[in-house]
Amino acid sequence: MDIQITKVGIISCSGEDLPEGTLSRIACRKVLDELRPGDTVTICLPLFIAGGQEERDFASKFPTITVDGCEKRCAQISTERISGKPSRSLLIPEILEKRGLAAPKRLRHLGQEEKEAAQAVAEEIAKAVDEILEE
Amino acid sequence: MKEKRKKVVVLACSGIGKVYGALARETAYELVEKVRPKITKLICLPLLVIGDPEARRMVTANPVITIDGCPKSCAHKSAESQGARIARSYQAINFYKAHKELKPEGIAELNDLGQRLAEVSAIELGGIVDVLVAEEED
Amino acid sequence: MVEFLEIGYDKFIFKVKVDYLYSREGFWAHIDKNTARIGLTDFLQKSKGDVAFLETVNPGTVVKQGQEIGKIETIKSVFDIISVVTGRIVEVNPEVENKSYLINEDPYGSGWIYRVELTDLESDKAGLLGAEDYVELIKEVVAQEMKKK
Repeated sequence: MDIQITKVGIISCSGEDLPEGTLSRIACRKVLDELRPGDTVTICLPLFIAGGQEERDFASKFPTITVDGCEKRCAQISTERISGKPSRSLLIPEILEKRGLAAPKRLRHLGQEEKEAAQAVAEEIAKAVDEILEE
Repeated sequence: MKEKRKKVVVLACSGIGKVYGALARETAYELVEKVRPKITKLICLPLLVIGDPEARRMVTANPVITIDGCPKSCAHKSAESQGARIARSYQAINFYKAHKELKPEGIAELNDLGQRLAEVSAIELGGIVDVLVAEEED
Repeated sequence: MVEFLEIGYDKFIFKVKVDYLYSREGFWAHIDKNTARIGLTDFLQKSKGDVAFLETVNPGTVVKQGQEIGKIETIKSVFDIISVVTGRIVEVNPEVENKSYLINEDPYGSGWIYRVELTDLESDKAGLLGAEDYVELIKEVVAQEMKKK
Protein backbone atom coordinates (compact mmCIF):
# COMPACT_ATOMS: atom_id res chain seq x y z
CA MET A 1 0.00 0.00 0.00
CA ASP A 2 1.59 3.23 -1.15
CA ILE A 3 0.94 6.91 -0.86
CA GLN A 4 1.27 7.67 -4.56
CA ILE A 5 2.66 10.95 -5.73
CA THR A 6 4.87 11.14 -8.77
CA LYS A 7 8.28 12.29 -7.77
CA VAL A 8 11.53 12.28 -9.66
CA GLY A 9 14.50 10.44 -8.22
CA ILE A 10 17.83 12.18 -8.62
CA ILE A 11 20.78 9.84 -8.69
CA SER A 12 23.92 11.84 -8.31
CA CYS A 13 27.55 11.10 -8.88
CA SER A 14 29.09 11.43 -5.50
CA GLY A 15 32.68 11.08 -6.56
CA GLU A 16 34.62 11.91 -3.45
CA ASP A 17 37.84 12.22 -5.41
CA LEU A 18 36.43 14.50 -8.06
CA PRO A 19 35.51 18.21 -7.78
CA GLU A 20 32.59 17.58 -10.12
CA GLY A 21 31.33 15.01 -7.61
CA THR A 22 31.15 17.68 -4.95
CA LEU A 23 29.48 20.03 -7.40
CA SER A 24 26.96 17.35 -8.26
CA ARG A 25 26.10 16.65 -4.61
CA ILE A 26 25.63 20.33 -3.85
CA ALA A 27 23.55 20.93 -6.97
CA CYS A 28 21.31 17.94 -6.20
CA ARG A 29 20.76 19.08 -2.62
CA LYS A 30 19.86 22.50 -3.95
CA VAL A 31 17.20 20.98 -6.18
CA LEU A 32 15.86 18.85 -3.34
CA ASP A 33 15.89 21.57 -0.67
CA GLU A 34 15.28 24.77 -2.63
CA LEU A 35 14.31 24.48 -6.27
CA ARG A 36 11.92 21.49 -6.44
CA PRO A 37 11.44 20.29 -2.85
CA GLY A 38 8.06 18.63 -3.32
CA ASP A 39 8.89 16.94 -6.58
CA THR A 40 12.20 15.26 -5.99
CA VAL A 41 13.91 12.57 -3.96
CA THR A 42 17.64 11.92 -3.86
CA ILE A 43 18.88 8.40 -4.18
CA CYS A 44 22.13 7.40 -2.54
CA LEU A 45 24.17 5.93 -5.39
CA PRO A 46 26.33 3.37 -3.55
CA LEU A 47 23.32 2.17 -1.56
CA PHE A 48 21.32 1.90 -4.77
CA ILE A 49 24.08 -0.14 -6.38
CA ALA A 50 24.66 -2.23 -3.27
CA GLY A 51 21.03 -3.34 -3.25
CA GLY A 52 19.21 -0.81 -1.06
CA GLN A 53 15.62 -2.02 -1.33
CA GLU A 54 13.95 1.35 -0.85
CA GLU A 55 16.20 3.02 -3.44
CA ARG A 56 15.65 0.25 -5.97
CA ASP A 57 11.90 0.09 -5.46
CA PHE A 58 11.65 3.82 -5.95
CA ALA A 59 13.78 3.85 -9.10
CA SER A 60 11.77 1.03 -10.62
CA LYS A 61 8.46 2.85 -10.08
CA PHE A 62 9.34 6.48 -10.66
CA PRO A 63 11.27 8.49 -13.27
CA THR A 64 14.93 9.15 -12.56
CA ILE A 65 17.56 11.69 -13.53
CA THR A 66 21.21 10.75 -13.31
CA VAL A 67 23.80 13.45 -12.79
CA ASP A 68 27.36 12.40 -13.50
CA GLY A 69 30.59 14.20 -12.77
CA CYS A 70 32.82 12.53 -15.31
CA GLU A 71 32.79 10.37 -18.42
CA LYS A 72 32.88 7.20 -16.34
CA ARG A 73 29.15 7.92 -15.78
CA CYS A 74 28.81 5.77 -12.66
CA ALA A 75 25.29 7.00 -11.94
CA GLN A 76 23.96 6.49 -15.46
CA ILE A 77 25.57 3.09 -15.98
CA SER A 78 24.42 1.79 -12.61
CA THR A 79 20.88 3.02 -13.12
CA GLU A 80 20.68 1.42 -16.57
CA ARG A 81 21.87 -1.86 -15.10
CA ILE A 82 19.54 -1.83 -12.13
CA SER A 83 16.30 -0.08 -12.98
CA GLY A 84 16.42 0.70 -16.69
CA LYS A 85 17.14 3.77 -18.72
CA PRO A 86 16.94 6.99 -16.73
CA SER A 87 14.47 9.61 -17.97
CA ARG A 88 17.36 12.06 -18.32
CA SER A 89 21.12 11.67 -18.02
CA LEU A 90 23.06 14.82 -17.29
CA LEU A 91 26.81 15.23 -17.41
CA ILE A 92 28.31 18.09 -15.46
CA PRO A 93 31.17 18.92 -17.86
CA GLU A 94 28.60 19.25 -20.67
CA ILE A 95 26.40 21.55 -18.61
CA LEU A 96 29.33 23.73 -17.64
CA GLU A 97 30.56 23.92 -21.22
CA LYS A 98 27.10 24.84 -22.47
CA ARG A 99 26.88 27.60 -19.88
CA GLY A 100 30.43 28.82 -20.48
CA LEU A 101 31.48 28.02 -16.92
CA ALA A 102 34.85 26.76 -15.74
CA ALA A 103 35.34 23.29 -14.31
CA PRO A 104 35.48 23.21 -10.51
CA LYS A 105 38.87 22.76 -8.89
CA ARG A 106 38.15 22.13 -5.23
CA LEU A 107 36.88 19.01 -3.57
CA ARG A 108 35.21 21.02 -0.82
CA HIS A 109 34.56 24.54 0.45
CA LEU A 110 33.55 25.78 -2.96
CA GLY A 111 34.59 29.25 -4.11
CA GLN A 112 32.29 31.81 -5.66
CA GLU A 113 32.80 30.59 -9.21
CA GLU A 114 32.13 27.01 -8.17
CA LYS A 115 29.01 28.03 -6.29
CA GLU A 116 27.75 29.67 -9.46
CA ALA A 117 28.52 26.48 -11.34
CA ALA A 118 26.56 24.47 -8.74
CA GLN A 119 23.62 26.84 -9.18
CA ALA A 120 23.76 26.40 -12.96
CA VAL A 121 23.80 22.62 -12.64
CA ALA A 122 20.92 22.77 -10.15
CA GLU A 123 18.90 24.85 -12.60
CA GLU A 124 19.49 22.32 -15.38
CA ILE A 125 18.38 19.49 -13.10
CA ALA A 126 15.26 21.44 -12.09
CA LYS A 127 14.49 22.04 -15.77
CA ALA A 128 14.77 18.32 -16.43
CA VAL A 129 12.46 17.62 -13.45
CA ASP A 130 9.83 19.96 -14.88
CA GLU A 131 10.06 18.38 -18.32
CA ILE A 132 9.62 14.90 -16.90
CA LEU A 133 6.64 15.88 -14.77
CA GLU A 134 4.99 17.52 -17.76
CA GLU A 135 5.42 14.45 -19.99
CA MET B 1 65.38 1.30 -7.48
CA LYS B 2 63.38 1.94 -4.35
CA GLU B 3 59.97 0.32 -4.33
CA LYS B 4 57.10 2.76 -4.51
CA ARG B 5 55.63 3.36 -1.06
CA LYS B 6 52.24 1.92 -0.38
CA LYS B 7 49.39 4.24 0.39
CA VAL B 8 46.43 3.89 2.66
CA VAL B 9 43.26 4.09 0.62
CA VAL B 10 40.33 5.97 2.14
CA LEU B 11 36.79 5.18 1.10
CA ALA B 12 34.08 7.46 2.45
CA CYS B 13 30.31 7.31 2.40
CA SER B 14 28.84 9.01 -0.65
CA GLY B 15 25.38 9.64 0.71
CA ILE B 16 23.82 13.04 0.17
CA GLY B 17 20.94 12.75 2.59
CA LYS B 18 22.48 12.65 6.04
CA VAL B 19 24.80 14.74 8.13
CA TYR B 20 26.93 11.73 9.03
CA GLY B 21 27.57 11.13 5.34
CA ALA B 22 28.87 14.68 5.09
CA LEU B 23 30.92 14.13 8.25
CA ALA B 24 32.39 10.91 6.84
CA ARG B 25 33.44 12.69 3.67
CA GLU B 26 34.76 15.78 5.39
CA THR B 27 36.84 13.62 7.72
CA ALA B 28 38.21 11.79 4.71
CA TYR B 29 39.09 15.09 3.00
CA GLU B 30 40.82 16.37 6.13
CA LEU B 31 42.80 13.17 6.40
CA VAL B 32 43.82 13.03 2.75
CA GLU B 33 44.37 16.73 2.10
CA LYS B 34 45.82 17.96 5.39
CA VAL B 35 46.63 15.33 7.98
CA ARG B 36 48.42 12.65 5.93
CA PRO B 37 48.42 13.92 2.34
CA LYS B 38 51.39 11.96 1.03
CA ILE B 39 50.49 8.54 2.29
CA THR B 40 46.74 8.43 1.76
CA LYS B 41 44.59 8.27 -1.33
CA LEU B 42 40.89 8.93 -1.66
CA ILE B 43 38.93 6.85 -4.13
CA CYS B 44 35.42 7.52 -5.41
CA LEU B 45 33.16 4.93 -3.84
CA PRO B 46 30.74 4.66 -6.81
CA LEU B 47 33.68 4.13 -9.13
CA LEU B 48 34.80 1.18 -7.06
CA VAL B 49 31.28 -0.13 -6.86
CA ILE B 50 30.86 -0.22 -10.63
CA GLY B 51 34.06 -2.24 -10.79
CA ASP B 52 36.53 0.28 -12.23
CA PRO B 53 39.77 -1.71 -12.70
CA GLU B 54 42.10 0.99 -11.38
CA ALA B 55 39.97 1.63 -8.30
CA ARG B 56 39.85 -2.10 -7.70
CA ARG B 57 43.60 -2.45 -8.08
CA MET B 58 44.15 0.30 -5.51
CA VAL B 59 41.93 -1.29 -2.86
CA THR B 60 43.35 -4.75 -3.32
CA ALA B 61 47.00 -3.65 -3.32
CA ASN B 62 46.82 -1.23 -0.38
CA PRO B 63 45.33 -1.20 3.10
CA VAL B 64 41.91 0.45 3.14
CA ILE B 65 40.11 2.58 5.72
CA THR B 66 36.36 2.87 5.25
CA ILE B 67 34.30 5.65 6.82
CA ASP B 68 30.55 5.15 6.68
CA GLY B 69 27.73 7.58 7.29
CA CYS B 70 24.99 5.17 8.29
CA PRO B 71 24.56 1.59 9.50
CA LYS B 72 23.95 0.44 5.93
CA SER B 73 27.75 0.66 5.68
CA CYS B 74 27.99 1.05 1.90
CA ALA B 75 31.67 1.91 1.98
CA HIS B 76 32.61 -1.11 4.06
CA LYS B 77 30.34 -3.53 2.23
CA SER B 78 31.31 -2.28 -1.22
CA ALA B 79 35.00 -2.53 -0.39
CA GLU B 80 34.45 -6.02 0.95
CA SER B 81 32.59 -7.11 -2.17
CA GLN B 82 35.48 -5.91 -4.34
CA GLY B 83 38.00 -7.93 -2.35
CA ALA B 84 39.57 -4.87 -0.74
CA ARG B 85 42.16 -5.18 2.01
CA ILE B 86 40.04 -3.50 4.67
CA ALA B 87 42.30 -2.52 7.55
CA ARG B 88 39.89 -0.40 9.60
CA SER B 89 36.20 0.50 9.34
CA TYR B 90 34.53 3.45 11.02
CA GLN B 91 31.03 4.82 11.46
CA ALA B 92 31.03 8.62 11.42
CA ILE B 93 28.35 8.70 14.14
CA ASN B 94 30.99 7.30 16.52
CA PHE B 95 33.19 10.34 15.89
CA TYR B 96 30.34 12.42 17.30
CA LYS B 97 29.81 10.01 20.18
CA ALA B 98 33.47 10.46 21.10
CA HIS B 99 33.21 14.27 20.96
CA LYS B 100 29.70 15.14 22.05
CA GLU B 101 30.54 18.83 22.33
CA LEU B 102 31.02 18.98 18.56
CA LYS B 103 27.55 18.45 17.13
CA PRO B 104 27.63 18.29 13.35
CA GLU B 105 24.85 19.85 11.31
CA GLY B 106 24.32 20.41 7.61
CA ILE B 107 24.28 18.01 4.70
CA ALA B 108 25.77 19.77 1.69
CA GLU B 109 28.23 21.62 3.94
CA LEU B 110 28.96 21.00 7.60
CA ASN B 111 28.56 23.69 10.24
CA ASP B 112 31.64 24.95 12.12
CA LEU B 113 31.32 22.38 14.89
CA GLY B 114 30.98 19.61 12.34
CA GLN B 115 34.03 20.90 10.52
CA ARG B 116 35.97 20.90 13.78
CA LEU B 117 34.76 17.37 14.51
CA ALA B 118 36.03 16.26 11.09
CA GLU B 119 39.40 17.83 11.81
CA VAL B 120 39.70 16.17 15.22
CA SER B 121 38.58 12.81 13.86
CA ALA B 122 40.99 13.02 10.93
CA ILE B 123 43.88 13.70 13.30
CA GLU B 124 42.91 10.59 15.25
CA LEU B 125 42.76 8.59 12.03
CA GLY B 126 46.16 9.97 11.07
CA GLY B 127 47.66 7.90 13.88
CA ILE B 128 45.97 4.81 12.47
CA VAL B 129 47.34 5.58 9.01
CA ASP B 130 50.86 5.70 10.47
CA VAL B 131 50.37 2.30 12.05
CA LEU B 132 49.12 0.82 8.80
CA VAL B 133 51.97 2.27 6.79
CA ALA B 134 54.49 0.98 9.32
CA GLU B 135 52.94 -2.48 9.07
CA GLU B 136 53.29 -2.35 5.29
CA GLU B 137 56.94 -1.42 5.51
CA ASP B 138 57.80 -4.18 8.00
CA MET C 1 1.37 -15.31 7.24
CA VAL C 2 2.31 -11.73 6.50
CA GLU C 3 4.84 -10.48 9.02
CA PHE C 4 4.71 -6.79 8.16
CA LEU C 5 2.30 -4.30 6.69
CA GLU C 6 4.18 -1.89 4.49
CA ILE C 7 3.43 1.62 3.45
CA GLY C 8 5.49 3.35 0.79
CA TYR C 9 6.03 7.07 0.56
CA ASP C 10 8.75 8.74 -1.50
CA LYS C 11 11.62 6.32 -1.45
CA PHE C 12 10.75 5.17 2.04
CA ILE C 13 9.00 1.97 3.00
CA PHE C 14 7.59 2.04 6.53
CA LYS C 15 7.08 -1.37 8.05
CA VAL C 16 4.49 -2.16 10.69
CA LYS C 17 4.75 -5.52 12.43
CA VAL C 18 1.37 -7.20 12.35
CA ASP C 19 1.20 -8.78 15.79
CA TYR C 20 2.45 -5.79 17.80
CA LEU C 21 0.49 -3.04 19.52
CA TYR C 22 1.26 0.63 18.90
CA SER C 23 1.03 3.95 20.66
CA ARG C 24 0.18 7.12 18.78
CA GLU C 25 3.65 8.44 19.72
CA GLY C 26 5.31 5.77 17.59
CA PHE C 27 6.34 3.10 20.08
CA TRP C 28 5.42 -0.57 19.96
CA ALA C 29 4.74 -3.29 22.51
CA HIS C 30 5.06 -7.00 21.88
CA ILE C 31 3.14 -8.84 24.54
CA ASP C 32 4.39 -12.24 25.65
CA LYS C 33 2.37 -13.66 28.58
CA ASN C 34 2.85 -11.20 31.42
CA THR C 35 5.70 -9.16 29.94
CA ALA C 36 6.08 -6.85 26.97
CA ARG C 37 9.05 -5.73 24.99
CA ILE C 38 8.88 -2.17 23.82
CA GLY C 39 10.73 -0.13 21.22
CA LEU C 40 10.44 2.43 18.43
CA THR C 41 8.44 1.84 15.29
CA ASP C 42 10.09 1.84 11.90
CA PHE C 43 8.16 5.01 11.07
CA LEU C 44 9.42 6.83 14.16
CA GLN C 45 13.04 5.76 13.71
CA LYS C 46 13.03 6.77 10.05
CA SER C 47 11.40 10.09 10.86
CA LYS C 48 13.91 10.90 13.58
CA GLY C 49 17.09 9.61 11.93
CA ASP C 50 20.12 7.73 13.21
CA VAL C 51 20.24 7.32 16.99
CA ALA C 52 23.38 8.79 18.53
CA PHE C 53 22.63 8.60 22.24
CA LEU C 54 20.22 6.67 24.37
CA GLU C 55 19.39 7.41 28.01
CA THR C 56 17.43 4.74 29.82
CA VAL C 57 15.93 4.30 33.28
CA ASN C 58 17.01 1.43 35.52
CA PRO C 59 15.40 -1.99 35.79
CA GLY C 60 12.97 -2.00 38.70
CA THR C 61 11.46 1.35 37.73
CA VAL C 62 7.68 1.31 37.96
CA VAL C 63 6.09 2.93 34.93
CA LYS C 64 2.67 3.95 33.70
CA GLN C 65 1.45 3.96 30.15
CA GLY C 66 2.32 7.34 28.63
CA GLN C 67 5.12 8.03 31.09
CA GLU C 68 8.55 9.22 29.99
CA ILE C 69 11.14 6.48 30.47
CA GLY C 70 14.26 7.83 28.87
CA LYS C 71 15.55 9.96 26.04
CA ILE C 72 16.91 9.42 22.59
CA GLU C 73 19.12 11.83 20.73
CA THR C 74 19.36 11.67 16.98
CA ILE C 75 21.02 14.18 14.73
CA LYS C 76 17.62 15.80 14.18
CA SER C 77 16.25 16.02 17.70
CA VAL C 78 16.12 14.84 21.29
CA PHE C 79 12.87 13.11 22.23
CA ASP C 80 11.37 11.13 25.09
CA ILE C 81 10.85 7.41 25.13
CA ILE C 82 7.22 7.02 26.14
CA SER C 83 6.12 3.84 27.84
CA VAL C 84 3.51 1.93 25.89
CA VAL C 85 2.41 -0.09 28.90
CA THR C 86 2.00 0.01 32.68
CA GLY C 87 4.17 -2.16 34.90
CA ARG C 88 7.74 -2.57 36.10
CA ILE C 89 10.81 -2.50 33.92
CA VAL C 90 12.63 -5.79 34.31
CA GLU C 91 15.29 -5.44 31.64
CA VAL C 92 17.02 -2.85 29.51
CA ASN C 93 18.32 -4.30 26.26
CA PRO C 94 22.05 -4.59 26.99
CA GLU C 95 22.89 -4.69 23.29
CA VAL C 96 21.15 -1.50 22.37
CA GLU C 97 22.88 0.52 25.09
CA ASN C 98 26.21 0.11 23.29
CA LYS C 99 24.91 -0.39 19.78
CA SER C 100 22.27 2.28 19.40
CA TYR C 101 22.26 1.72 15.63
CA LEU C 102 20.23 -1.44 16.26
CA ILE C 103 17.23 0.82 16.88
CA ASN C 104 17.55 1.98 13.28
CA GLU C 105 18.65 -1.30 11.76
CA ASP C 106 16.19 -3.65 13.38
CA PRO C 107 13.57 -1.58 15.22
CA TYR C 108 11.13 -4.46 15.86
CA GLY C 109 13.79 -7.04 16.66
CA SER C 110 17.23 -6.59 18.17
CA GLY C 111 16.58 -2.85 18.54
CA TRP C 112 14.05 -3.33 21.37
CA ILE C 113 14.67 -1.11 24.39
CA TYR C 114 12.85 -2.38 27.50
CA ARG C 115 11.14 -5.49 28.78
CA VAL C 116 8.32 -4.60 31.14
CA GLU C 117 6.40 -6.83 33.55
CA LEU C 118 2.76 -5.96 32.92
CA THR C 119 0.37 -5.05 35.69
CA ASP C 120 -2.61 -3.59 33.83
CA LEU C 121 -2.68 -5.08 30.36
CA GLU C 122 -6.41 -4.69 29.72
CA SER C 123 -6.29 -0.94 30.39
CA ASP C 124 -3.08 -0.67 28.36
CA LYS C 125 -4.75 -2.28 25.36
CA ALA C 126 -7.53 0.27 25.40
CA GLY C 127 -4.97 3.00 24.73
CA LEU C 128 -3.14 1.23 21.93
CA LEU C 129 -3.61 0.64 18.21
CA GLY C 130 -3.41 -2.55 16.19
CA ALA C 131 -1.15 -2.71 13.13
CA GLU C 132 -3.84 -1.71 10.62
CA ASP C 133 -4.91 1.29 12.68
CA TYR C 134 -1.30 2.31 13.09
CA VAL C 135 -0.87 2.22 9.31
CA GLU C 136 -3.85 4.58 9.03
CA LEU C 137 -2.19 6.87 11.56
CA ILE C 138 1.03 6.91 9.51
CA LYS C 139 -0.99 7.86 6.44
CA GLU C 140 -2.55 10.76 8.33
CA VAL C 141 0.81 11.99 9.55
CA VAL C 142 2.34 11.72 6.08
CA ALA C 143 -0.65 13.56 4.56
CA GLN C 144 -0.19 16.38 7.08
CA GLU C 145 3.52 16.59 6.25
CA MET C 146 2.71 16.74 2.55
CA LYS C 147 0.31 19.62 3.15
CA LYS C 148 3.04 21.52 4.96
CA LYS C 149 5.33 21.11 1.95
